[in-house]
Formats: sequence, C-alpha cells, structure tokens
Amino acid sequence: MKQIMPYPVLVGEVTMTVHEVRLDDVALPYGMISEPDHTVALHLLDREDWNVVRLMLHVIAPRHELDTGPWFSLAFLATASERRTNMHSAVKLMMRQPGEWTGEMELHRDDHFGRVQVSGQLVATVDDVPGRVIAAVGQPWTVDLQARGATQRESIQTRWVNFAQDPELVWCKSDPWMVSTTDEAAVLNLNSGFDGLRAVLESPKAAERPIREALAAQIAVDMWTALFNEAAHRVGSREWPEGWRGLVLQRMLPDLFPDHSLDDALREIVNRGVGGIQTRVLHAAAKQARMPRSLGGFIRSLEKTLPEDE
Amino acid sequence: MTQDGDGIARDPEAFGAWLGRQLRRKGMSQSDLATALDVTRAAVSAWITGRATPRIDKVKLIEEILDLAAGSSTTRDEAPESSGYVSWHHRLAHSDGGRELGNAAAFAFDSSLAITAREATQNSLDERHDGTRPVRMRFTLHEITGERLRRLQEAIRWDDLVPHLEAAGGSEQKVGRMLADGLHTLRETGKLLLLRIDDYNANGLTGPEYDDGRFAAVVRRQLDSHKKGPAGGSFGLGKATIWGASRFGLVIVNSTLSDPHEDRRERRMIGRIDLPWHELDGVQYAGPAWLGNRDPKRESAARSWWAGERTVEELYLTRGSADPGTSFLIVGAHDPSGEASTLEEMHTVLVRGLASDFWASMVAGRGRAPMVEASVEALRDGQVVVAEERVDPYHYEPARARAVRAFLDRTTVSQLTKADDVVELSVPLTVPPRKTQAGAVPIEHRAVLLVTPAAEGDQKPNRLVGMRGTRMTVFDRPVTGLPLGSTQFQAVLLAGIATNAELPADNAAEAFLRAAEPPEHNDWKATEDLTSTYARGATTRLKEFRKTIFAMVRSAVKPAEPVEQEGAPSILRDLTSLEPIPLPRTKGYPTVKSATGQVDQKGAWRIRVEIKLPEREDPWVLRPLLRFATRSGPKPEARWAELSAESNCEVSGDVLLFAARERSAVFTGVSDVASHPVAGQMAIAEVDLVQAKDASR
Repeated sequence: MKQIMPYPVLVGEVTMTVHEVRLDDVALPYGMISEPDHTVALHLLDREDWNVVRLMLHVIAPRHELDTGPWFSLAFLATASERRTNMHSAVKLMMRQPGEWTGEMELHRDDHFGRVQVSGQLVATVDDVPGRVIAAVGQPWTVDLQARGATQRESIQTRWVNFAQDPELVWCKSDPWMVSTTDEAAVLNLNSGFDGLRAVLESPKAAERPIREALAAQIAVDMWTALFNEAAHRVGSREWPEGWRGLVLQRMLPDLFPDHSLDDALREIVNRGVGGIQTRVLHAAAKQARMPRSLGGFIRSLEKTLPEDE
Repeated sequence: MTQDGDGIARDPEAFGAWLGRQLRRKGMSQSDLATALDVTRAAVSAWITGRATPRIDKVKLIEEILDLAAGSSTTRDEAPESSGYVSWHHRLAHSDGGRELGNAAAFAFDSSLAITAREATQNSLDERHDGTRPVRMRFTLHEITGERLRRLQEAIRWDDLVPHLEAAGGSEQKVGRMLADGLHTLRETGKLLLLRIDDYNANGLTGPEYDDGRFAAVVRRQLDSHKKGPAGGSFGLGKATIWGASRFGLVIVNSTLSDPHEDRRERRMIGRIDLPWHELDGVQYAGPAWLGNRDPKRESAARSWWAGERTVEELYLTRGSADPGTSFLIVGAHDPSGEASTLEEMHTVLVRGLASDFWASMVAGRGRAPMVEASVEALRDGQVVVAEERVDPYHYEPARARAVRAFLDRTTVSQLTKADDVVELSVPLTVPPRKTQAGAVPIEHRAVLLVTPAAEGDQKPNRLVGMRGTRMTVFDRPVTGLPLGSTQFQAVLLAGIATNAELPADNAAEAFLRAAEPPEHNDWKATEDLTSTYARGATTRLKEFRKTIFAMVRSAVKPAEPVEQEGAPSILRDLTSLEPIPLPRTKGYPTVKSATGQVDQKGAWRIRVEIKLPEREDPWVLRPLLRFATRSGPKPEARWAELSAESNCEVSGDVLLFAARERSAVFTGVSDVASHPVAGQMAIAEVDLVQAKDASR
C-alpha cells in the first residue's frame, strides 16, 4: 500500500521524545521510560487507583525545510489513541522556537486499558487549505498500562492451574493443557494436576532438553491452531480484528499465504472460509511452534540413547 | 646624601632596584661604581637599598658609565636590547663526558598536541591566582611566512641558533632526526608555525633566577614539580610536553608576575631551547641553551630580562591584559602524534582535547565563575583562519556538564524521573594511613557519584568519568555488565577535594588518589608512589573503591522492575510471543514500488504506479484498488474511470494481467470523480493490489 498526497508534504523526519511522566503528579522513575524502545511502562505495583498520567512531550522537525517550504500557520497536534477502547484524543503543543514544540498530554485512567499509542501530526495551511497534515511522527511511542518493565513485549498469557479445582476447567480435568479466550486475552492453561507435566516442562536438566522442547512444540501447535481458528471466525470483512486476534492473524497469515500481502491474505480467509484453509493452518501453527527443529532434536536424542537400552 | 627634589627622589626604592639591576646586567660591583663616581661604597649601597638618592650630576654620570641614554634613570628604562645584551647562552658539556641525547621527561609521555594543551592547562589551573575568577587559557595557532617570519627570526636570534641546530641535527638519534627534519621543512616551505599558550589570572613565573620558585621550576629544572596545595604536580613532568610540541624544542616565555621580582611585574622574558648534546667548532655543548642577559657571575648561563613593548610585539608575545600569568611561544609547533597537520585540524584537536579534559572545570554553579575558561584561534600571517572558539562544555559534553552543574547548584535528586535529572550517590573510599604515620587509622572519604540519562544521539553513552582536585578528567571508561533495558547514561565521579565538602578526609583522599595516578594522570592504579607511600592494603582499598563505583552506577540505571513473566515455563516463552514478526525484505507477493500522481482540473486523481513482482511461472493477475485514507474505520474505495498499461502488463476490465516471469510492471489510472467520497483534492489517496481470479482464462 502506497499513499499519494495531493499537496506538498515534509520530507524530513519528525521525532518525538517523552521527557518526563507524572502519575497523578508523582514523577515516574526514568527507568520506566525507554528511549530506545519508545515505550513507557506505566503499571506501578500497588498503584491501581491513579487517575491521570501526564506525559511531557518534545517534538523536533527539520527547521530548514519548514522555513523554505510552502507551508503556513504550522501547528503540532499530539495524539493518543488506543484500538482496544477506540479512544482518540489530541492536544496542541506550544511552539518553543521554529521546528520545535513542547507540551503535555494527559491520559485518563477511565479512557484506556492496555497499550496507548502516542504520536502526532504536523499540520499547516497549504494552498489556502488550512489544517492539512504535512508530516507525522516517524516513530510513535507506546504507553503500556499493563506492563511492568519498559521492554516487555506482547505475548499470550500462560499459567499453571489445577484443572480439577477450577470450575471453568473441571470439564476437561484429564487434559494436560487447554486454551481459553476472552475478548481481552488468550490464555494458555497448563494443568498442574497432570502428573509429571510440570516436572518435564520445568526440568533444569540439560539431558532432558530434547524432550522438553518436543513437548513445548506440541503444546504450541495445539495452542496456535486453536487461537487461529478462533480469530479467523471473527473476520467478517476486510477489517482486522482487535487485540490478540489481530496479532495472531498477523503472525500466521504470511505462512498461510506466502504469495499474498497481509491485507490480501485476510481477504482470502473470507473468500475460502475457515474450513477451506485448515491444512494451511496446521502448517503455520507448526512453524510458530518451531516443530521441525524440536522434533528433529528429539529424534536425534533417541538415536543416541537407543544403543544403551539394548 | 641630600635630596635634589627632582624626578628620582619621588620613588627612591624604585630607583635603587633599577640601579641594582643595571649593575648586575653590566657585571659591575657596587665598589666598581663607587670608584668610577668617586663616592664611597656605602653611598652606592644606600642608593640601591633606597635609603638615599644621588645628586643629579652623579645620576648623569651613572647613565654614562652604564651605557644608557640620558634620562633613562628617570624613566627607569632598561638597557635597550639593540645594544646586544640579549643573546643565546649554551650550557657547556659535562666535564665527565656525559651526553644527554634527548629529554627523558619528554619521552615519559605519549606526546601529542592534545596532551600539551592538557598539561599546560593543568599547570595553569594549579597556579590560579584569584580564586574568585577563572583562569583564562588562550591557545593561538599562527602560521607565519615572509617578512613576518624573518622579523621573528631576528628577534629570537635565529641565525645564532642555526649552527647549533645543524650540529645537533647531524646525530642519528631520534631527537637529532626530528631537528634535521624540522629545519629541512622550514627551508623548503618558508612557513613556521607558532603556538602561543597564554594563561591569565595565574601566578606567573615568580621567584629568583636560580633558587626555588616558579621561574626556576619551569625554566631551569627538569622533573621539579614545585608541588604545593591541590596541585596535580604543577610544572613537573608536564612542562616537558610544552617543549615537546616544538620541532626545535624552542620556547620563548613572557610572564606577568603576581608577585614583583626586582620591583617589576610585566614582561619578564626568557627563551629556552632543548637540544641534545652536540659539538660545534671544537666545543662540546650539553644541549640546553637560554635566551637572555649574560650573567657575569655564572659561566654560560643567562638571566631573564625585562623586555620593552616592541620586543614583546616582535616575539608575538604581547599579553592581552595586565592580569598576571605566562605566555609560552612554541616556535615550530607541530602535533608530535602526527594526527593533525593543517591549521584547521590542529584547531580541532586543541578544542576537542580541552573539551574532553576540562569540561568539568569549565562548568560553574549558578552565579559563580568557572575554574577555567579556554579558547582556541588559528591565524595565517595575521589573518584569521579559524575564528576564536571558546570551548563550551555544554556543547561538547551536554549530559556530563549538566550533571556537574546540578551538583554545584545542589539540584541533584535521589531517583531518576526526568530525561535531564541527575542522581547523586555517595561512594565510600577508605584511605589507608601513610607508612610514616605509625599507629594511624584509616580514614573514610565519601566521593560523589553523579548519574544522568545520556543526551539524545550520544555516540558514546554508558561511560564513567573520574576526577578530583581541579576536576580535570582523569579517566573515561565504559561501564559494562549493565542489566538489560537499562537507561542510557553518563556518570561522573568527583573524589577528593572535588567533592567540595571541605572535610579533612577529602584532603587525605586527594593525596591518596594523586599518588595513584601515573605521570599522565589518566588512571587510578597501584603506582610505585602509592605502594611506597601508603600502608599495606592501599591497592585493595583502591580496587574496592572502583568495584563499588561500578556497582552503584549499574544499580542506579537498572530498569524499574525485572523483565519477567510469571508462571510461564521458560521453554514456552518464545513460543507464545505475539510480537509482530518483521516482514522479510523480499516479499513473496506483488508490491507497489512507487505511486505518484496529482488531482487534475476535473478533480480526478491521475496516478502512475510501478509494481514489483516476484518472478513466477504462473502469471500474476491483480486488481488495483484506489482508496481514500482515513484515521480509522474502513477506507472508502473509488472506482477507476480509466486504466492503461504502460509496460509488462495488459488491462482486462478492472484487472491487470502480467506476463509470466516478469519482475516489474507499470500502469496508469484515472479515477472516476463520481465515485469519490470526498473531493480528491481534500484527501490522501492509497493504492493497493489484490489478487484476482483471471476471468479471461
């Protein structure tokens, strides 16, 4: 996908930095702001009752290009948006000097849930049309309300549960693992009541590594297959589903349809129907689980131990 | 003696000192003068000590005897240099036949222009005169040719030196080769580079000609550090680097004294050349020679002289103000490391060197003066080549300068919350007692550790700089073993009296760390000086100190919480990641390589699209989509009014058919205005490709 602008836009890069973060007027330790990752980790332990987060922003645009270009009445709008809550807000920053803007952006606890993208656009009057976007922040920031460290990545939650004692899972109490989903999260439940499962998966012994990896790959194949099908059923049109469903599809679709672009691959799900693509799903899930490598290692380890058994 | 009431009587002391100087210059004793004037020796003595002044007829006679112009006793003029009193005086070879073929102190250093600047500035900082004002350093590079060159050569009696330089340059030793090369280059190019190093608000070269004092320490002696107070060793080994920066080992000095010598302060001059042993016309010379007045009392030695303003001008040594301090003129300056050769490069080397060694001394607290200011300028034949640049610590070391500034202003914090916050931590250093202090106990010193996030775009983040005393950079090294996800930072350690706490332990730590510095002042380690001065365990204390510093830096920048996911077995962690996978560079599907276009008079988009295709036997069939971009929600689609193939494809209805194995194609399109959801001019257009079933096949 390529965009074409009907008016001149800025070529140079617009960079944004988060200079300081205050949680209800209490400054956050700088370690929670990661400049290289452009991430702010907001979740403070024992602090669920906050109301407002205030980000101090600083934006720099190429001044020389702005001076010589056909743009007038420049203004910078910082934006905060979250797909989960479909919340979008914008605030105008103050120009400190040509090509430099600063200001504060507020995020209210009630408006947000998980990862908020903080970005911004430079707008100007072009050819007598006011308020046209002439540049956007090259690398937006992410404010993560759930993460504890600024470097934490998105992933599927994994937890140990004794299925027999959990009312939601008791129906499958003899299974070693089970995937459960809500709109917010996908959870991989490992049955701590399943004899030996934990011992094998968390064994520190190097000799058991091939078994550990083969088992993990098997769990992952099951999990990715189930998650993909769950997510694919939600695809109605050309729109990407929200949250973990979109992420699962984005990871797996390139393996399902290697000769289609992501958007085009999404259309293929609608065209062919979930039932028509199951063989491809199995292939993509095995790839996510790194099955060939793990299983290969397991088989090689069997060859080594077999002569001794004889 | 009677008072004549004329000019002399107003200031008998000054007349006496002047007369004493003139006698010494002539090599005349008080009794010699008494005999010539037909007065008693006691009378001459009384004039010199200022107890009395001579009658006017005697004054005229004195001027005549001393070969001076009439009236010079009133104006206190010194002997005019044109009369040939100033000349080179070479030290004769040692009678035991010993030969010095180079200056050992100069070899102890890695020589480079930056190190010369560092040592000179360090010496000046140690000699700061008025503690409320900065020491001002000026470095002037000046390349001269033609008449300017000749006039300088006349002023420094160059022609008298040349035979000695040639004789010394004849040797095969390192120093000899350098001299020969220097002479050769000068003759070939007709260019001579001068480096002038000035300090203002420093003590200047005070003290007697030969006995202990700043003058003798700099001009007469090797390896005399004349140590006092917080000095890092003023004028010790370091001064050798000033001579080392000259191809000829030739330096002329003009000093304004903070403390008068022979009743005078301004324009105390002396020149010194450091040559190796050489033989000329059958006479063996030890090497060093001095430019100055002959000392009748000492064989082959020269005294400093009080120069006239014209001489100083000819020597390019006119000082910018009456503030005390010293100007060194390095004749035939070069960068011994070979790093810089042009004026511009040398300017850069000096500015960079001063910035990295003294940025902290250049930072001042609110409303205070910094310890030192420095500037560098480059000229060619009087014309400015690189304008005078004042070294700005905030420009060269933004994060570190901010840290020191915050410390001086007491605006440091205990935890980093802002990108420009500075954390202040206290690091203990146990200073063991000296070997000479029997029964003394170790003292604990608290050094100050400052940590601040690195400035944006910092090329060398995560480093620790250590300093003491006058806040000269002692070491600058990387901090390794940082926890993953640590904030990028700069750290500064202030130890000894640099902590400004003014505790007795600070002085003890200062002395301890000075002993731990090698001559280059670039590390704190177990030097011979340290192990011979301090009780057992000094090396261990130093190691502990260093270990603590690094550990404290690491913990100050570690991420707020360990990056750990509870519950998940580590083996499953990688397999459950939802992070987007980076797309491969070469894609397996057709992509829009370039899309350009504009809205025409009728409001329709006219677009030209280049497509990149993966090579494939089975021909690609694609439907181009034209959509209008939106912030969120579905993007409205527009129809094509017209599609035409430009290369490697053909149009069939609303799809494009591409030839097999083709790698690129171009088509153009015009949008259907009626299908636009908004006016074309008001929206951003997007072009996308969708794989289509080929209806025709």
